[in-house]
Amino acid sequence: MPRTLWSGSLSFGLVNVPVRLTSAARDLDLHFRQLHEKDGAAIEQRRHCSKEGKEVEWEEVGRGYELDDGEQIVLTDEELASVQPRKTRTISVEAFVDLDEVDPIYFDHPWFLTPSGESEGTLRAYGLLVDVMEATDRAALGRFVMRTKEYLVLVRPRDGLLALTTLRFHDEVRPTDEIAPGGRKPAKGKIEGAVAVIESLSTEWEPERYTDCYRERLEQVIEAKKKGKRIKAPEQVDEPAPAPDLMAALQETLDRMGSGKQERKGAAGTGDGLKALSREELYERAQAEDVPGRSKMSKDELIAALDG
Amino acid sequence: MPRSIWNGTISVGLAHVPIKLYSATESKTVSFHEVHLKDGARLEHKRICSKEDKEVPYKEVVKGFEVAADEFVVLEKDEVAAAAGARGKVIEIEEFVPDDEIDPVFYEKTYYVGCRDDGEAYRVFHEALKQTERVGIGRFTFHNREYLAAVRALDDVLALHTMRFHDEIVRGKELDVDTPGKGAAKKEVEMASQLVDSLHREFDPTDYEDTYREAVLKLIERKAKGEEVELEEEEPEEETSDLMAALQASLKGS
Repeated sequence: MPRTLWSGSLSFGLVNVPVRLTSAARDLDLHFRQLHEKDGAAIEQRRHCSKEGKEVEWEEVGRGYELDDGEQIVLTDEELASVQPRKTRTISVEAFVDLDEVDPIYFDHPWFLTPSGESEGTLRAYGLLVDVMEATDRAALGRFVMRTKEYLVLVRPRDGLLALTTLRFHDEVRPTDEIAPGGRKPAKGKIEGAVAVIESLSTEWEPERYTDCYRERLEQVIEAKKKGKRIKAPEQVDEPAPAPDLMAALQETLDRMGSGKQERKGAAGTGDGLKALSREELYERAQAEDVPGRSKMSKDELIAALDG
Repeated sequence: MPRSIWNGTISVGLAHVPIKLYSATESKTVSFHEVHLKDGARLEHKRICSKEDKEVPYKEVVKGFEVAADEFVVLEKDEVAAAAGARGKVIEIEEFVPDDEIDPVFYEKTYYVGCRDDGEAYRVFHEALKQTERVGIGRFTFHNREYLAAVRALDDVLALHTMRFHDEIVRGKELDVDTPGKGAAKKEVEMASQLVDSLHREFDPTDYEDTYREAVLKLIERKAKGEEVELEEEEPEEETSDLMAALQASLKGS
């Protein structure tokens, strides 16, 4: 069970549901420590007063804010906490909105809200809210305070539970009018060509098929280094130049995809040919032939499935 | 014109779109710097070697990965770069998926995509993505790290989202949540739906200001005038004991 980061209640109208907040995203990144090259000892970050040159304990740290005239205002954490709005332990629902009106660009961090406690009343009120929002494709907008900051949040059903996401405020999303999309309205034929390419490369969204190759390669680099091997960065692939004739490039892409499919079918018939391929290449073929369970298959299993 | 943070090419098959990326979001949280309460002087973070207890210049700092307790493997910069791969300048779109199939929980950070040439290919893909209601999925390398990325049409521009991987997302079934003995009564569902309807409105992000940010700025103002700041605390609300009664009372009130 993930850690509870906040607990309080979700209130809509006069209904209050005690809830707990847990993160819906986990950090799987590999984290590095800073070390002193000379002796391999860990580096510690310590706060020093720029005036006294001496180390400063956490209790002596204040928050400085510089006014326009250069004057500095210092606040303590307690003073900063005093601006929390009154109902600090409640997520109060201000409105319900259609979920598809909220562009994902506003979504910040994902969380789950789970019922707090096992009382029948709590569980029923929680379940009721999930059901009603699911049935209407609506989500609740509200505000709450976590640690010392107030957030605008969207509460919506996900996986049969209430998911909460903190939202960015409208002025934290930049306007698009200064971004140059460039060009005139393109010719119809070119759009049709691009639509055809998109359609032939279309598939279902299956998130399990995408793994963090960076994480995997970093693990390999660490493993190799542990054994004393020295790994060099690969040569960078050249940035391709745009095709002088977009229409011809789209057409050729389509042609190659068509013939690519036939080649795949041909090679898939011989097990020997398959053995020469990498797992990634095998996976691509398994994808083209829609082999079920392919994402979890080893190289040999993929060969067996494609050869069958 | 905002400053671009990345230059490269989005490739779909043999069609290449030279692009620039811009941050689409910026935090407006009031930021403070750390100061020493005693004298108001700024604090500096110093790197101290835990063995020598002395300050360490930046050029003597290396990155270590802990493979066992207190056993570190040190990686050079180019070794970390090796993990980033060879496609630092190219975002190859591998496939397209229907945009309504991707739960927004996958989207992490958003960038706007601008073009670097006459914009023909850019406009063509923007229009084609809009018409097909699809999102392009590819890999994007930024600051020596590779991300999964989604490219979609957003208003008149293309947007790129870096994405979380499936194993970085917590599923509902991983959480141990009790279900109620019996489901909600029909009457309760009806009343709750009415309540949702009565609070329903169109989503307009400009209706919601960051009141916390405003409150912090006001607090700073008061402090600047030399006013005292009172501290207070608040208790949590009680849970609803009678769901039906609470729903009824809410509907009357709304």
